Amino acid sequence: MSKLILGRRNLLKAGAASLFLAGMPIAGLAKGKPLGSISVIILEGGMDGLATIPPIGDPDLMRMRKSISPEGYLPLNDFFGLHPSLKFYAQLMARGHASAVHATAFPYTKRSHFEGQNMIEGGGLSPFSEKTGWLGRALELAGVAGRSLSLDMPLILRGHHENDNFYPASIRGSSRPKANLVNMIAMGHQMDAAQIFTKVAHKSKENVQVPRDPASLAKYAGQAMGQADGPVASIIRVENFDTHANQVEEDDADAGRLARQLSVVDDVIAGYRRGLGKAWDDAIILTLTEFGRTVAVNGTLGTDHGYGSVGLLAGGTLSGSGVIADWPGLSKKDQFEKRDLMATIDYRSVCAACLEKSLGLDHDLIASQIFHQPDLTRVFDHFFA
Amino acid sequence: MNKQFRIAQRIGLMFRYDQDLPQDMEAWIQLQLQAPSPALGIANTGAKVIEWPNELQPDLSKRAGMWRRYRALKKQQREGKNGQDTQAARQANRHENLMRDKDEHKFVQRNAYGADQVKLRLTSFWANHFTIGNTGDTGQMIGHAIDEGILAKLNGSFADMLYGITTHPGMLTYLDNVWSAGERSEQAKSCRRKPDCQAGLNDNLGRELLELHTVSVAAGYSEDDIHSAAQVLAGWGIDFGEELSTMRERTGSTNHWNAYKKRWAEPGGKKVMGKTIYAGRGGLRQLTDFLANHNHTINHISTKLCQHFVSDSPTKSQIESVKSVWHQSNGDLHTIHTQVLKLAINAPEAKFLWPMTWLFQVVRLSGATYFKGWENINDYDDKLMRSKKVFEELGQSFWSSRQPNGYSNNKADWMSAEMFERRVRFADAIYKNGRTRRSVNKIMDRIGAAEQTKALVASVGTSPRDQFITLMCSPELMGLEYV
Repeated sequence: MSKLILGRRNLLKAGAASLFLAGMPIAGLAKGKPLGSISVIILEGGMDGLATIPPIGDPDLMRMRKSISPEGYLPLNDFFGLHPSLKFYAQLMARGHASAVHATAFPYTKRSHFEGQNMIEGGGLSPFSEKTGWLGRALELAGVAGRSLSLDMPLILRGHHENDNFYPASIRGSSRPKANLVNMIAMGHQMDAAQIFTKVAHKSKENVQVPRDPASLAKYAGQAMGQADGPVASIIRVENFDTHANQVEEDDADAGRLARQLSVVDDVIAGYRRGLGKAWDDAIILTLTEFGRTVAVNGTLGTDHGYGSVGLLAGGTLSGSGVIADWPGLSKKDQFEKRDLMATIDYRSVCAACLEKSLGLDHDLIASQIFHQPDLTRVFDHFFA
Repeated sequence: MNKQFRIAQRIGLMFRYDQDLPQDMEAWIQLQLQAPSPALGIANTGAKVIEWPNELQPDLSKRAGMWRRYRALKKQQREGKNGQDTQAARQANRHENLMRDKDEHKFVQRNAYGADQVKLRLTSFWANHFTIGNTGDTGQMIGHAIDEGILAKLNGSFADMLYGITTHPGMLTYLDNVWSAGERSEQAKSCRRKPDCQAGLNDNLGRELLELHTVSVAAGYSEDDIHSAAQVLAGWGIDFGEELSTMRERTGSTNHWNAYKKRWAEPGGKKVMGKTIYAGRGGLRQLTDFLANHNHTINHISTKLCQHFVSDSPTKSQIESVKSVWHQSNGDLHTIHTQVLKLAINAPEAKFLWPMTWLFQVVRLSGATYFKGWENINDYDDKLMRSKKVFEELGQSFWSSRQPNGYSNNKADWMSAEMFERRVRFADAIYKNGRTRRSVNKIMDRIGAAEQTKALVASVGTSPRDQFITLMCSPELMGLEYV
């Protein structure tokens, strides 16, 4: 099915491109609503997957990291638990609307935030090899637009000129700019700057008041994606997962920095759920983080940069709930370089499955043109029946 | 743009609306590099530009004292004691004891009024290179690190600046080093015998010292090198809220910029990237000196300086010329800066301006009074926002919570509709509320605006406000195109 749709889309895109070159208006073309929507929550700093979905059935867990393992976890099955901060997510799981992938990562093992972030957003084969992002390239192929809920345009969404961003200003003494003035300014600029000022002009016609906390932005994004002419993709960033110190509180392993940030993620997912309304049935949300953290606790009630982590998925398109993992084990010999959780699932495959489902792109095309990895494993059937 | 303003835009903050213009720009650059750097500003919006009062520029030990007092009152507030839980008491505690807002305001006023514009641009480059993000406690120290760790050391050696910033309590706190202990340190050993005692290594600063501050990943160091660097750093710094008696007991001193806790230090020698580092407090200087003079550091930072001032994609020969003076001068920053600025003013293409740089330039060109005086820093003003809020809205502030790699020097990372919308809106707000002293035509004449810019301004009609926004958001004033 997806192959068929891809054919139609490619045709439309080709048509649009040639009409554009001929100077014809392109409105109305390639605007058919795709199959669904895709939202990415970027967890900046490297989320500790072993605390988010603790493998409670692995005897090494408590041996290696008792002091930072959540006590009030919700058992998902005999082997995995769920961090107590993820309350809404737990409800979704109970209803078959959320799944997690464990011991997963992008193929990047050098533990630098900035190289890692570039890899997970750029989706290239090595750090800083891409000027555009994997989601941006996918949207370009599908001919549909995405929106980032941020002041900047994150790398992950770059690569498709229709993509935009949203982050409402609050500046005393200035009102929304006049569209005709900004359009005039745009005419004085070249290329991408002109294009951006044109977007500013367009945006200034709308009057949207949204609080800037991640959950409110998620709700707004969900509402926007639920509209017929709304964006098909959205990006939200949640910071501060770099829990080197005080990942948990000294006397309460269910509280602390990680617990607070996971609550934000939970609120963001809940915000999306509320905003999407009926469009939830066609939505997929996934998290993305640059790496997991060390298996062992460091000297400051935290964990240092590691490798394998967890991906959280939610949305009405999932065919059921579960934790998908090829568990590598936690003992020293099973760890990556004797310190990190090994990654046994390439998270690019998970991203590819979500793209396939939401944008109707063919897996082989995603693998070769978006991730430049033609032999990328297809894991679609594990999530979407 | 005429030569004076083209150069000032590229390497400075623009000449203020009433400043005399130098004729010999090469000589001016040399004078600028040696210019005195008093923190200039205004006490209130009608006042003359003078130096900031000393009492608003406390040293580290005063800052630490204020931090301890802030925490103590905050505790009383939580416990509902001594009337500290009222709104007024909470506010008074923040205003009296926290430095964050004052420091940012001082930085902003410096940049709006300073006569040392080139040094201020270099300061921003290095403050960004050695990013200290705001984690609450570091908010009390960032301003001090920028003034004393960067600005005051612009004409020394890179090795001195590196050691100074690495040992500054702001950096040691931001990257968790104040809580790190060597794995075989006395503290870690005794802790192991007690339940619920945590002491051990935290490699956060060790990693970023190598990756961001010096050699970069291109050096191909190993995880063991990071680990060893962290072991060298273990023991350095102390929690800023620690009582003085505890500090004296642990470090033998009450000087926060030289706090070394022997009990937390890793005994024995270490090896970082092949270099043997001796045990003890001298080991860190040995390490930072080794890193400061490493070829990969010289390459990494020469490239970054070029990317900031010369071009997003500097040529190999541009980078080589900076590396060459770096080697010849043994890392003398004055010599290095001179070379970078020379390349910058001769660069054939425009360089996109950071949001904060652009905002300062708009204020200086127009003579706007867009920032409050220091006397009114905490007063509500229905026209002028607090500096903190201005830069939060603009999307760039050295007092924000952010990642240690700092702000990008690459134009592509700043290109977004929301970012551009802020330029339009701040130009608007500065015109409307900033009491600008120069008309658009006067500004265009003075800077020698390009015909293309004049035509663009003329195209939007006769509203002075629209013209002002258009000029400030033109390709020429945003640093998007040389026209």
